[in-house]
Amino acid sequence: MVRFLIRRLLWFLLTLWTVFTVSFFLMRAVPGGPFDGDRKLEPDVKRMIEQRYNVDQPKWKQYVTHLGMAAGVLSEDGQWRWGLPDLGPSYRIRDYTVNQIIAQGLPISAALGILALSFGLVFGVTAGIIAALNRQNFTDTGVMLLATVGIAVPNFWMASIGIILFVFWIPLLPAAGWGSLSHLVLPAFCLGAPYAAYIARLTRTGMLEVLHQDYIRTAYAKGLPARRVIMRHALKGALLPVVSFLGPAAAGILTGSLVIEKVFHLSGTGTYFVEAALQRDYPLAMGVVLVYTVVLYTMNVIVDISYAVLDPRIKLQ
Amino acid sequence: MVETILEVKDLSVRFDTEEGVVGAVDRVGFTLMRGETLGLVGESGCGKSVTNLALLGLVPSPPGKIVGGEALYRGENLLEMSAGKLSRIRGNRIAMIFQDPMTSLNPFMTIADQMTEVTMLHLRHTYSEAIKHAITMLGNVGIASPESRIHGYPHQFSGGMRQRVMIAMALSCKPEILIADEPTTALDVTIQAQILELMKQLQESEGTAIIMITHDMGVVANICHRVHVMYAGRIVEQATCEELFARPRHPYTLGLLDSVPRVQKSAAGQLLAIDGQPPDLVHLPVGCAFEPRCRFSEERCLKEQPMLREMTPSGRAACFLDSLDGSKALSKETMDD
Repeated sequence: MVRFLIRRLLWFLLTLWTVFTVSFFLMRAVPGGPFDGDRKLEPDVKRMIEQRYNVDQPKWKQYVTHLGMAAGVLSEDGQWRWGLPDLGPSYRIRDYTVNQIIAQGLPISAALGILALSFGLVFGVTAGIIAALNRQNFTDTGVMLLATVGIAVPNFWMASIGIILFVFWIPLLPAAGWGSLSHLVLPAFCLGAPYAAYIARLTRTGMLEVLHQDYIRTAYAKGLPARRVIMRHALKGALLPVVSFLGPAAAGILTGSLVIEKVFHLSGTGTYFVEAALQRDYPLAMGVVLVYTVVLYTMNVIVDISYAVLDPRIKLQ
Repeated sequence: MVETILEVKDLSVRFDTEEGVVGAVDRVGFTLMRGETLGLVGESGCGKSVTNLALLGLVPSPPGKIVGGEALYRGENLLEMSAGKLSRIRGNRIAMIFQDPMTSLNPFMTIADQMTEVTMLHLRHTYSEAIKHAITMLGNVGIASPESRIHGYPHQFSGGMRQRVMIAMALSCKPEILIADEPTTALDVTIQAQILELMKQLQESEGTAIIMITHDMGVVANICHRVHVMYAGRIVEQATCEELFARPRHPYTLGLLDSVPRVQKSAAGQLLAIDGQPPDLVHLPVGCAFEPRCRFSEERCLKEQPMLREMTPSGRAACFLDSLDGSKALSKETMDD
């Protein structure tokens, strides 16, 4: 287990470095720069701005500086230091460093994402089990129909309907903004719904497959009541496909939160993920990409560990 | 007088499939005496497993459906028992072990968890009592250092060891009846012999009655007291083990015996197979189901279905022929050479 984690940590650093390098050069390979606007700047002014942000230096030098800063071993002016990663100042949001912007947005996005994923898991797994146990009757068809709709409906539409229903018709929840848990209920529901639907389908399929296994027959032959057979003997095996879906699901929720954050006016990181790239705000875009890399990598490690916890035949290595 | 502990009468099970209604078990009846081993023999799909799954309410439904008959255990009909009552008998008074020990144990749970849940449920053991009991049971079935192995998972055991675990688990509530559904089929030959020997020993020490479902005549000869031969969902011959091997009364039984390899036989001798295919259970013939493959078939066999009738004081067969002696020459030659 310790060896597994150390190995994963080394790979993690390598992954981060690769992501950093590829993103760094890809972003800068796209035509246009952070300070090109509709209005042409005076050459002197432009030069001064570029100097302020070190954009006038050769690419490799910028790369070394930024990498050093992100690794926490260089300061912005090229001095050695030892500290936390510094992603530099934002090019477009004046007076803010990328660190500050992320520190502000990440808690919101994290809360939203965790809530959405938990919601997806709880509803999805429950619905999947219910559907599997009522195979091919009305309940099963109903749940699966709902799941298909949940996957097919775009979440901004679901968000609009949600606002109409629970803000205007039945005034239960706030329409937008951030401050209390109630602000997150609707957005998390809309963000998690397609995942709940997908997880329901996976759980149902997994459950049906497991219920045909010989060891389930053995469990019944031992005289165990049906509830115990399902919860103790069948559920673990049925959940394996769901667990492996959690990695991609986390990725989807991260990158998909943009729309929901817009609709509900939540200033999470999702918004910056797209806008920073469009505005050539290189440090901010890089910051968000790196944060997402960290989250996804951690998620995948958790998935691997859960796999080994669920299935004793799997050894971590 | 030996006590009857299970009496099955006219049990019929059907499966509704897309091709039509399959009469998997058709009016099967037998009795089981305390402490004996009853063999149920026949080829794949003849209904021997379904018969026993039906007794414990384990026939998958749908598509399966018990359409008639009764199974009296201690005077109560298992087939009409409430689910709750039946589950107090399952694993407790009547236990079952299955063909494939590789898939019959839950791979996600430790042996300890799987064994203790049975006795905690039926015998109201506490966890520590259950563990102690399970370790004793594992010792009884010949698992070395059971106190440490019990905390392992099934994948850490070999096939033969897993079947021993299954047997230990099945016997842990001291059942009166053990239904063994081809318990040795998936094991290699030396392990087969060990498992059969173990079952014999346990039967002697515990007095458990065993229903041994198998297609292996060698297993029958080794362990069974009485044998019922099944074909196409029906019992076609009932006899004691000695009788059956010495003098089969049904042509199908004769065919089964002829298809068993024998050590004494010369190398030139060929094994006799039963010609043809097992019948399609959706479209059974009007007459005897074995008729198309029978070398003694007569006009009458096409039109009429032979019923089980007494041949000797302890043997019955579903055949119009009083004796297969006319052709005995053929089978004698293959058997005694």
